[in-house]
Amino acid sequence: MNMISDAFLPAVSSLGAVALALGIIIHYVSKKFHVEDDPTVKLVNGILPGVNCGACGFPSCGQFAEVLVETRNPAMTCPVGGADLAAKLGETLGMAMAEPKPQTAVVLCQGNNDVARQSAEYLGIQDCWAATQAFAGPKQCRYSCLGLGSCIAWCDFGAMRLENGLIVIDKDLCTGCAACIPACPTGVLVMQNKQAARYFIACNSHDKGAGTKKACDAGCIACQKCVKVCEDNAIVIDNFLARIVQDKCTACGKCIEVCPTKVNCIRLENDLNAVKQKQAS
Amino acid sequence: MKTFNTGGIHPPESKFTGNSAIEVMPLPAELAIPMNQHLGKPAKPIVKLNDEVKKGQLIGEADGFISANVHASTSGKIKAIKSHPHPGGQYAMTIFITPDGKDEWAEGLDTVAADWKRFSKDEILKKIKDAGIVGMGGAGFPTNVKLSPPPDKKIDTIILNGAECEPFLTADHRLMVESAEQVVIGMEIMASLLPAPVKLAIGVESNKPDAIAALEKFAAPKQIEVVSLKTKYPQGAEKQLINAITGRKVAEGELPFDKGCIVQNIGTAAAVFDAVCRNRPLIERVLTVSGMEITQRKNISARIGTGFKDIIAFCGSMSDKTNQVISGGPMMGKAIFSLDVPVVKTTSGILFINNRSLDKSRERTCIRCGRCVEVCPQGLAPWLLANTAQLKQFDEIQLIGLANCTECGSCTYVCPSGRELVHWIKYAKALVSSRQKRKSA
Repeated sequence: MNMISDAFLPAVSSLGAVALALGIIIHYVSKKFHVEDDPTVKLVNGILPGVNCGACGFPSCGQFAEVLVETRNPAMTCPVGGADLAAKLGETLGMAMAEPKPQTAVVLCQGNNDVARQSAEYLGIQDCWAATQAFAGPKQCRYSCLGLGSCIAWCDFGAMRLENGLIVIDKDLCTGCAACIPACPTGVLVMQNKQAARYFIACNSHDKGAGTKKACDAGCIACQKCVKVCEDNAIVIDNFLARIVQDKCTACGKCIEVCPTKVNCIRLENDLNAVKQKQAS
Repeated sequence: MKTFNTGGIHPPESKFTGNSAIEVMPLPAELAIPMNQHLGKPAKPIVKLNDEVKKGQLIGEADGFISANVHASTSGKIKAIKSHPHPGGQYAMTIFITPDGKDEWAEGLDTVAADWKRFSKDEILKKIKDAGIVGMGGAGFPTNVKLSPPPDKKIDTIILNGAECEPFLTADHRLMVESAEQVVIGMEIMASLLPAPVKLAIGVESNKPDAIAALEKFAAPKQIEVVSLKTKYPQGAEKQLINAITGRKVAEGELPFDKGCIVQNIGTAAAVFDAVCRNRPLIERVLTVSGMEITQRKNISARIGTGFKDIIAFCGSMSDKTNQVISGGPMMGKAIFSLDVPVVKTTSGILFINNRSLDKSRERTCIRCGRCVEVCPQGLAPWLLANTAQLKQFDEIQLIGLANCTECGSCTYVCPSGRELVHWIKYAKALVSSRQKRKSA
């Protein structure tokens, strides 16, 4: 008994004394240097998705919340949360928030392994950026989706997958955070307005018509047919590639009917079934 | 025997064409001459469609300080100016010439000039610049820029690189044997451009005794030392060659200038001779066609712009088993993605390889055996660079010597796990530079 108290008492009491002293200091410091926290920041932060994707322009959801509460700027939106979140935020802050324009990433390429021809067998590292070091990608078309999937790792929402040598984006899962855009070396990924994006040209090839046709069945050959038929002047050809101006397109669908390419390069959405159907017919 | 002091490997030499004389390749039916055959900005095309050009006429003008002129390799008509596959692995603006068969030199070219010693330094430098000469070892750095070092750097040694340490390649070897005198004079001309007299040395690997003997005949009377180097890869890498011959070490971020050295390739010296003494711009080069899958292995002298397909036809045929065609040597060359690519100023060889027997199907995990560290001539830890690249830690990777890697490929060669170490490092370099560009933009 005596031995135990001899061994433990000094240790326990000295540690206890140190802890007590430190506790007093910490208590004093926390009182002295107390910063008034805005409880709404915590509240707002709780509503936000919390994935820190950076789509809003801030590095984290916490920072977005701080700035939002401080500035009360109704134009600040979280693209990931969409309209639901904007309504919730407005409720919490007691103000009307701007309606966010939901965006989605689209792939400007349909060159899967069935329609795009390969230039050479690629044996190096399975990464798009590494492939561009070796040559302009495994596909003949150097503007194409290289099909090695470097962008997939950048998607926080699991919206991207590789299908038959082409990136496919799940529209329901894509939140429009744009994290994948800089991950693509050929620039086939672009952001489009989810609602207004009626039609788009799913091709990125600036080759002349003959070159594009040689490399891929689904390429825009810049034949001007869609430009002529479009009543809204929504289609322009820039450097051997048609582009649909989103704001002008009324989704009449006339361009799709005249497109002469084997696999229609004008798409309503990236629907692979439609591609296969047209190929079969 | 002299050699560099860190790392190195001994791949099979496979120099099958060491004894075959250089054959001049006949003029092909079409020439495709890219505008970027050098380091730096591509040349600006100065001819138009359907223009008639003469052999040696300027068709692409150097655009900026680090750039080089490009000339028509034969007389004929400009057929097209368009983007075309380039052996460097990208597309490049290319001028297509349909030869008229006359092969006529432009006025004032291909004349035997007077003794080069009568020209002033500026005249010689201008001739080298006008002839569009670039480093012909592979990097393609404009020679006139290399020969005008900043005035605060004191140059005391010029080294001619005849090591040719890449397996298979024998182009420099044959050039040293067959044109030893031109090479030596070319070196003298380059040395005369520097303000002070310098030490001259030609480094040749000891597996080429005939080249050493041929050079010594002309070099000895001119106080040029022919240094026999140990046969070890990468003996011909600039930094390793300087280390082997002078004992100096070019540190990270330094250029050979900083250690008082200029290194030039054998082919470059011969081109300088042609430009200054014979008024010929750089329109042809010697290259080795080799590998297991081509019927006739040869050293050929081909016009710049000759398509790889024409070269295959000249050397018999390519076997069906070929799965890689490499422009350059097997260690540092690039597998090309289309046989449409042409010969450029830096094409030292074309190899036809079948490496299906090698299990290159997948990269396995690093087993920390340390062989890559042992063989790295730059004293780096390639496994660490590759792992860091794989994890996309591009800030950290710059702290562990990314810029110091010369991409010689020794680490990938010895890796028992089949890891693509150099490819990861190249990948990191590309992404680091694109990030820097984006930051500064």
